[in-house]
Amino acid sequence: MKYTPFFGCMMTTKYPQFEAAVRKSVTKVGMELVDVEGFSCCPDPIYFHASNKMDWYTVAARNLSLAEDVGHDIITTCSGCTATLSEVNLALREDSGLKDEVNKNLKKIGREFKGSINVRHAVTVLRDDFGLDKITETVIRPRGGLKVAVHYGCHLLKPSRVMRVDDPDRPTILENLLKAIGAEPIHHEKTLLCCGRACTTDSIPDQMVMDILENIQAHDADCMGLICPTCFDEFDVGQILLGRKYQKKFEIPIVYYFQLLAIAQGCDTGEVGLHLHKVSLDKLMEKVAA
Amino acid sequence: MGSEMQSVRSEKAGLNFAFREKLNSVAEGFRHNYCYQCGACVADCPAGNYSEVFNPRLILLKAILGFENELISAESEIWDCTNCYTCSERCPQDVRPIDVIIALKNICVRERKAPQFVGKVYESVMASGITTKMSSLVAKRREEFGLRPVKDVPVEELKKMIGLD
Repeated sequence: MKYTPFFGCMMTTKYPQFEAAVRKSVTKVGMELVDVEGFSCCPDPIYFHASNKMDWYTVAARNLSLAEDVGHDIITTCSGCTATLSEVNLALREDSGLKDEVNKNLKKIGREFKGSINVRHAVTVLRDDFGLDKITETVIRPRGGLKVAVHYGCHLLKPSRVMRVDDPDRPTILENLLKAIGAEPIHHEKTLLCCGRACTTDSIPDQMVMDILENIQAHDADCMGLICPTCFDEFDVGQILLGRKYQKKFEIPIVYYFQLLAIAQGCDTGEVGLHLHKVSLDKLMEKVAA
Repeated sequence: MGSEMQSVRSEKAGLNFAFREKLNSVAEGFRHNYCYQCGACVADCPAGNYSEVFNPRLILLKAILGFENELISAESEIWDCTNCYTCSERCPQDVRPIDVIIALKNICVRERKAPQFVGKVYESVMASGITTKMSSLVAKRREEFGLRPVKDVPVEELKKMIGLD
């Protein structure tokens, strides 16, 4: 089955190891990736959205229309891109007046939003179009005993009216995807808490991130597993900065789900860039590469 | 409740129902009219739980009463919203408080009363098509991972669409 990947700004310019991990792992499960030229930022669901909602609809609709030309559903690999592209896609489908208004803008560059494709995070596509058994079939090194603290982030699930992926209060998708590669998912008290990236008062996200990290420490997890490069930023480099700021000691490796999947499928840890993370993954690498 | 009411009373301008019209004119802003102040949005709001000030019900109340000076400002509590959408999950009236907060932010930007960094993200997308910057180090890493080089975004298309050309 063919899909158009939308990797977004963070992943292409900051964390290319995640893009590498997605490309290597999902193709083994059976996705064929058809790249589309010319995508811009999704655009950013926080500050671009806060600047001008009509411009946000318009720039997102241009990205959607580029993918519509090729005709395959978009798979997103970042929660922010998922939020923007899914919400705009649905809003323009539901509201023909809004669609007409946005299409007036797109017409200036000879484009049109039709609403002919879907946008889903790659984990949703793995679960729904391929299934957990199909993922397990690709695993040659089961991650037996690896305890992964699950971090959902907000926009895989919410708003559920738009995302339609899972129960936003009792989700199971990431736990099941981790079990499919032989890992042990750890669902802790703060599993569903936001990473706080969008707040402007530092003390709010600082306390949120530390609460999550302390919960993970209490559960003795080997690492945190997540699906969004922005959350990754908050927890990986963020963990080091917070440790300095509040004189605390955190050593929780942060891993992107598709890195774990690729490693379980036989990739070397270097091929998916585990060595590039700020929080040392040395201990984890010994465990996962064994 | 005491400190909330004090905060609501602190708006010197008094009630300003004309503000509802202004909010109605911004995309999704009209949703604030549906709010009946039940407070379902409050308990699971992460910004609310980690801040003394942030309270989505109170933001909606200020919008309804037209406390424009408190809301339309770079110092407003609206900038501490985490954008998590939990309030939309909880709201029985389909107010989608987060969408009203975004509408308030749109007014702040339009009236040049938003924090500076907000405009920088928008300008970055209009200038380069992306919010981040590509470094030579990451370009080299992409090559090592066997990934294609990142091409420039045709930003003239973005500018043309929104009338900045």
